Amino acid sequence: MQKKIIRQIIFYFFLLILWEALVLLKLWPEYVFPSPLKVFATLISGLSDSSFLIAIGISLKRIFIGYGISIVLGGMMGMLMCKYKLVNDTLGGLVLGLQTLPSICWLPLALLWFGLNEKAIIFVVIMGALFSITIAFDSGIRNVPRLYIKAGKNMGARNMTLFWEVMLPAALPVIIPGLKQGWAFAWRSLMAGELLFVSMGLGYLLMMGRELNDMSQVIAVMLSIALISILVDKLVFGQIERNMRRKWGTEISI
Amino acid sequence: MIEICDLSKSFKGRNGELAVLQNINLEIKNGEFLCIVGPSGCGKTTLMNIIAGLDLATSGKVLHKGKLIEGISPERLVIFQDLGLFPWLTVQKNVEFGLKLKKLSPKERQEIALEYLDMVNLIHFKDAYIHELSGGMKQRVALARALAINPEILLMDEPFAALDAQTRDMLHMELQKIWAKTKKTIIFVTHNVREAVCLGDRVIVFSSLPAVIKSSFAVNLERPRRIEDYGLMEIVRQILAELQFEIQKVFEEEFDAKENN
Repeated sequence: MQKKIIRQIIFYFFLLILWEALVLLKLWPEYVFPSPLKVFATLISGLSDSSFLIAIGISLKRIFIGYGISIVLGGMMGMLMCKYKLVNDTLGGLVLGLQTLPSICWLPLALLWFGLNEKAIIFVVIMGALFSITIAFDSGIRNVPRLYIKAGKNMGARNMTLFWEVMLPAALPVIIPGLKQGWAFAWRSLMAGELLFVSMGLGYLLMMGRELNDMSQVIAVMLSIALISILVDKLVFGQIERNMRRKWGTEISI
Repeated sequence: MIEICDLSKSFKGRNGELAVLQNINLEIKNGEFLCIVGPSGCGKTTLMNIIAGLDLATSGKVLHKGKLIEGISPERLVIFQDLGLFPWLTVQKNVEFGLKLKKLSPKERQEIALEYLDMVNLIHFKDAYIHELSGGMKQRVALARALAINPEILLMDEPFAALDAQTRDMLHMELQKIWAKTKKTIIFVTHNVREAVCLGDRVIVFSSLPAVIKSSFAVNLERPRRIEDYGLMEIVRQILAELQFEIQKVFEEEFDAKENN
C-alpha cells in the first residue's frame, strides 16, 4: 500500500517536471501552454474568491438531484421489468435502444420542452444515468439465485419484505457497478450540458476560460472536474465496493 | 403430525409425462426422526418440496396437523443442500433473519440467536461472514438459523452430502444431541444408507422411478449412535438388500464417499 502511494507520488511529480520542462523550452507561447505554477495559482485564486466553489456547488447540486432521480426511477423501472414480462418485452427493448443514444442528444429536446433553465440540464443528467441504472437493477434482480428466494420465503418473507431483505441485498453486487457507471454517465452528461449553454456550474467556468483566452483557467477547471469524479469514485463507490467484497468474500488478490 | 395420502407427482417434460412419485402413503409423528433413502433422482427431494409447500402434488394430499398444506411456511423449515445462507449478513444476522420477520425486538432476536449459536458451538464466529466459514460450520449456521425460528418440522435435504467424513461424523453427533434437546420432527433425505440408519427412528426406502415406498425399517438402537457402530450394520444390510436393483448405484456412491476420505 505504501509502496503504491510512493510510486504514485513519484509518477505525478515526474509529470509536473515534464510539464514545467516543456514550458521552459518555450515551444508554445504561455497563453497556449501555461506553466503548472500558473495553473495552480489560478486554482487557488478561484477557490479563494469562491468563483470555483460556487460553480462546484451548482454542478454538484444538479448532479445530486439528477442522479438521485435516476436511481429512484431506474430502480422502479428495473423492478417492473423483472416482475412483469409485458414491461420487460416492451420497455426493456426501448431501454436497451435508448442507452445507445448519447445523453447530450437529449439537450435540444430538453431546451424546447423546458427552456434554458435548470430543468433542462437536470433532464439531460437523468437521461445520462437512467438507462444503465435500469439495466443494472433489472439484471441484478433477475439473477438473484433462486435458493436465496426460496430460503427467504421459507423463513416467512413475502412481497416487499422479501424484496428489501433478500432480493435487493442479493442483487447488490450487480447493482453497485451499474450505479457507478450511471454516476460516470451523469457527470459527463452534466459537463456536456453545462458547456453547451450558459448555465453557471463547472462547464460554464470551463467555457468562460476559453472565451477569455485564459488557458490556465481552462486547465484548472479540467483538473477540478477530474478531481471531483476521482474523489467520488474512490471515496463513495470504492468504499461501498470494498465493504461488499469483504462481506461476500469476493476480494481478488493476485 | 404429517399425513401423506395417496400422493402422486409427475412432471411434464419434452418426452411426455414423467411419473416421479406414485401413491405415497406415509404418516410422520411429532418428534419423529424420519430418514428417507433411495437411489439418486428417485423423487426424495420432490417429496420434501411438496411437504415444504415449495411444490404441488399432482394428486393426493398432504396434511400438517390435519390441515392441507398450502404453500411455504416457517412451520416447516427446509435446510437445503446448498443451505442458502445469506452472504451479505454476518452469522448472527443470518440466524436472526427469521426472527426479524417475526417482528421480535432486536434484544430478543440477539438473545435467541446467541442461544442457538451456542448450541451449535459457533458463538465465537457470530460476527464472521459466511464465506469465512468451513463447510461444517456453514451447516451448523444453517441449523441454528432454522432452529431459531422454532419450526415444528425440519426438512433436511442431503445436508451433509458435500462434507468430508470426519465433519459429517461430528455433525451426526451434534444433530442427534440437538434433536434430543429440541424434540423437533425431522425429515432427513439422504442416499447414504448408513447415515440414515445412524440418525433415524425410522428409515423409509424409496424405489427408483416412479418412486413408491418399498419398505420401512424401525431403528430401535440406543442413542447417540455413531456411523461405525456395529449394531447399525444389520439394518444397513437389510436395507441394502431391499434396494436390490439400486444396489449398484448406492454402492458406487458409498465407494465415492470412501474415496473422498
